[in-house]
Amino acid sequence: MNIRWYHFALWAAFMAVMFALPEFVSRGTLRTVIFANFLAIFAISWDVLSGRTGYISFGHPFLIGIGAYTTAILTKRFDVAIEASIPIAVIVTMIAGFIVFLPALRIKGSYFALVTLAFMELMYQLVQVIRPDLTGGTRGISGIQGITRGAVNGYYLSLTLLLVVAVTVWLVMRTRVGTALSAIGMNEESVRGSGLDTTKLKLFAFLFSALIAGLGGAFYAHYVGAIAPRALFDINFLFTIIVAALIGGAATTAGPIIGAFFLTFLLEYLRPYLPGAERYFIYGGVALLLYMYQPKGIIALLETMKDRIIRRSST
Amino acid sequence: MAFLSIENLNAFYGKAQALHDVSLSCEKGEIIAVIGANGAGKSTLLDSIMGLTKTTGTISFDGTPLNGGPAAAVERGIGYGPERFNLFPYMSVYDNLMVGAFTARNDIEKNLAAVFRLFPRLEERQAQETSTQSGGERQMVSLGRALMTSPRLLIVDEPTIGLAPKVCTEIAAALRRLRDDMGLTILITEQNANFAMTLAERLYVLEAGAVRATGTVDELRDDPRLLEAYFGH
Repeated sequence: MNIRWYHFALWAAFMAVMFALPEFVSRGTLRTVIFANFLAIFAISWDVLSGRTGYISFGHPFLIGIGAYTTAILTKRFDVAIEASIPIAVIVTMIAGFIVFLPALRIKGSYFALVTLAFMELMYQLVQVIRPDLTGGTRGISGIQGITRGAVNGYYLSLTLLLVVAVTVWLVMRTRVGTALSAIGMNEESVRGSGLDTTKLKLFAFLFSALIAGLGGAFYAHYVGAIAPRALFDINFLFTIIVAALIGGAATTAGPIIGAFFLTFLLEYLRPYLPGAERYFIYGGVALLLYMYQPKGIIALLETMKDRIIRRSST
Repeated sequence: MAFLSIENLNAFYGKAQALHDVSLSCEKGEIIAVIGANGAGKSTLLDSIMGLTKTTGTISFDGTPLNGGPAAAVERGIGYGPERFNLFPYMSVYDNLMVGAFTARNDIEKNLAAVFRLFPRLEERQAQETSTQSGGERQMVSLGRALMTSPRLLIVDEPTIGLAPKVCTEIAAALRRLRDDMGLTILITEQNANFAMTLAERLYVLEAGAVRATGTVDELRDDPRLLEAYFGH
């Protein structure tokens, strides 16, 4: 796929707006944006695997959790420096990604999705019972060393991470490897028939996805300062990631970012009116309506609007 | 030895046997057609050449045995146009062609130019999603994707399925040009016996996974075994 000048212009404009944001919004809003940034990273990670290759993962919090727990245990229990603990967490998450990849050699579709869900459930149970002196058991780990102080610094850190992840994914997906991954999602047999090694391509997608999940999970743990199994290996967390990717536009890089911001702010603005879990009914309804109207997500709606504006301005 | 030589090929889907002792040969520069009704084993035969099915027997290409799956087959110079095009529907024509270009990365520009010379319509519509194209255009993309692999042998599964007679003529002309201008050897499967007879030099009649008859078009034109394979009488 060709990269055009306006692609870079759009990324540059997005970066400029985002970097100037702390000058214009309150600290509270900034904290909401930080969560949106992290959700966007997790949604991009899910999309690299599931949105592109069609191997739907219901166990993504498993990978995010491993990244978060690894760095938390290393820094809190073994006094390892953050500079070392985060790369180790990413490597451990990629090893976990390889383990998740193994069932994909034999199964796909709903069976694969259920196996990945089992990984998440298994992890939820294991961290509570195995070596609670390290994992903190049901309570998890609190007092995790932070990387930055204050909302503004936290914002810039999460934003930089999101941009690095997004631009890297965007560039990779514009190579022939990216095209082949999307092709696997549409017709894996035909990709094989064209002489491509789909096993290697899928392995790449799993490891790349795990790398992003581990990176996001590790930084997230250091930002929030506390992690617990009930919050990390949670079905609501899982569905928020998936819905963010789908509602924004799966198999695109900008889609999961748009979806993450849309969902985070929708839930946040509903909070004063619906402080309980009822908010999730509203967001479920919005997601359902949007998905019925435009299955390719918000990004497709924006593209349609752009095309209409261009058509009107040219007539 | 023939350019493509298949001897005593048996193919299996689990416990079910789809091909029974199939032998076939194809010389360099020939156009060969394998014809037969639904379920005769035509697609299985092509899948077996590509290493996509479990088989016993020998398949040799250009003098050496062919094994190692589809990646090795494409690497050795076999391009595959699967049944019903099997495209990537939500990708553009260009991206569909690029999937084929994965293995022959040094020849991308040359192959792309050859595909666009053969099917100028694809060059005009290279940004179009293939899900929005006509059947004929999709077949062109499917053939184009196979050509992007730099093949010496092109195997195409039912190139005229679901296409209008006018488009069938276009496809036949394109396949002939590939042989005449680019020196490709071509093996197609077909249900459309008339199309196969106008395009190919030799035919194999496949029925229930076994070769029932083989010969030149003239030899087989009035052969009762051909009618039997299609109509059962």
